[in-house]
Amino acid sequence: MGGEVPAPEKFLSYTTCGSTSCITEGVPPKRRPTGTPANLSAPGSNAAASAKAEERRAKRVAAAEEARRELAARQRRSRLLGVGAIILAVVVVVAIVVAVGLLHSDKGAKTTAASDEVISGVTSIPAATFDKVGAGNIKTLPSAITADPLTADGKPRMLYVGAEYCPYCAAERWSVVAALARFGTFAGLGQTASTPKDVFPNTPTLSFHGSSYTSQYISFSGYEIEDTNGKPLDTLTSDDNTLVQKYNAPPYVGTGDTAGSIPFIAMFGSYVSQGASYSPDLFKGMTHAEVANAMQDPTTDVAKNVDAMANFFSAIICKATDGQPGDVCTSSGVQAAAAKLPTT
Amino acid sequence: MSRVPRSLVWASFVLAIVGLLDAVYLAYEHGSGSNSLACPETGHLDCAKVTTSTYSELHGIPVAYLGLAFFVLLVLVMSPWAWANQSPLLRWGRVALVAGGLVFAIYLVWAELYRLDAICLYCTGVHLAIFLLFVVTLLAEAARMPAEDA
Repeated sequence: MGGEVPAPEKFLSYTTCGSTSCITEGVPPKRRPTGTPANLSAPGSNAAASAKAEERRAKRVAAAEEARRELAARQRRSRLLGVGAIILAVVVVVAIVVAVGLLHSDKGAKTTAASDEVISGVTSIPAATFDKVGAGNIKTLPSAITADPLTADGKPRMLYVGAEYCPYCAAERWSVVAALARFGTFAGLGQTASTPKDVFPNTPTLSFHGSSYTSQYISFSGYEIEDTNGKPLDTLTSDDNTLVQKYNAPPYVGTGDTAGSIPFIAMFGSYVSQGASYSPDLFKGMTHAEVANAMQDPTTDVAKNVDAMANFFSAIICKATDGQPGDVCTSSGVQAAAAKLPTT
Repeated sequence: MSRVPRSLVWASFVLAIVGLLDAVYLAYEHGSGSNSLACPETGHLDCAKVTTSTYSELHGIPVAYLGLAFFVLLVLVMSPWAWANQSPLLRWGRVALVAGGLVFAIYLVWAELYRLDAICLYCTGVHLAIFLLFVVTLLAEAARMPAEDA
């Protein structure tokens, strides 16, 4: 039979951790002192043992410190990774919001030929209605300027620059059409609405794009530089562009911030206007036909603003036509407006 | 006790001050008002269109003024003295502040792109400042070191 297997020696052990691993050192019991030998009384030997113990303790402390730092560094790395993931997620969300936002398109109203009901409503406002509203509620008036006479085909010329998307242009157009209809005839007027993505969204209006105007008294050019979706539409001639650059800016209209803003109207070299004369909020929720009908009724807010501004435009036109035609230029509504027009 | 890397502390303070200056300008512009009733011809870059839109107010309070108050608060909590304060309330409050600001900034960017179709460059400056403050604040909290290590 085999001999008796000796029992394994019991070891005391010390664990020392480094930067990446820990080492366990065992000390066999046989090497351990089992008592205090009598010959250990020599002072030199005591000091050496004490120094060794001190050295071992220092090693243990250093290792523990190293392990603590290692743990802290690991926690910090994992926190930074977590934060990096959060930041990356935010960047992805923002990038998606921006990319989709830049690519999406919310279409505005389609421009169609203006209906007969709308055209007749706007171009045949009774003289009595114009006279009743007079100067109305208008506070913002065109500016009087001194410039070379603006003419075309030997007639005083009026120039309008706007865009179909623009809510303020949408508001002002009703007055321009109503006034010009007293001196001539439009053909091919469109009807549309301002962009749904701006203030006063979907303001109902007319469009000068593709229209023509004939009058024995004056000439008129109406530019719609962009459609309701901001796509280019009419292009100004070089001369008109030069004129707009010069007069659609201070000191003639607006401030430095509003130079180039629309709508812009240049009238005969004697008046210019920028912006709307009343708020597009007037037309909130109204259809084109409802606006046209309201313009016929002098008691409505629409008439008190739109028709009154048409009286101001008419008064300016009358100055350019030397009071022709007489029935328009001598009417009480136009006279009331003329009395309030600024002069140079 | 722990402390934040000095570079992140100063980066957050400078960003908060830059954002505050931008917010002051926007609040001034809002206060001075635009009564021209005209459309600028500047395509998608149109500050007035954004700052006068229906999205420029929150429950009747102008967003420009909210932004101003927000950045005044941010300058205080991003100051080196505030970063030296170890209060958990301040630390978590700071994170919550920039996170909330970032969410609101994303909402405003959405309104600009999806509802107004116009970008306000000064507003974008504020949004960028908030995003960077969010990044810096989170990094600063994650990179906190025990004081004796520093």
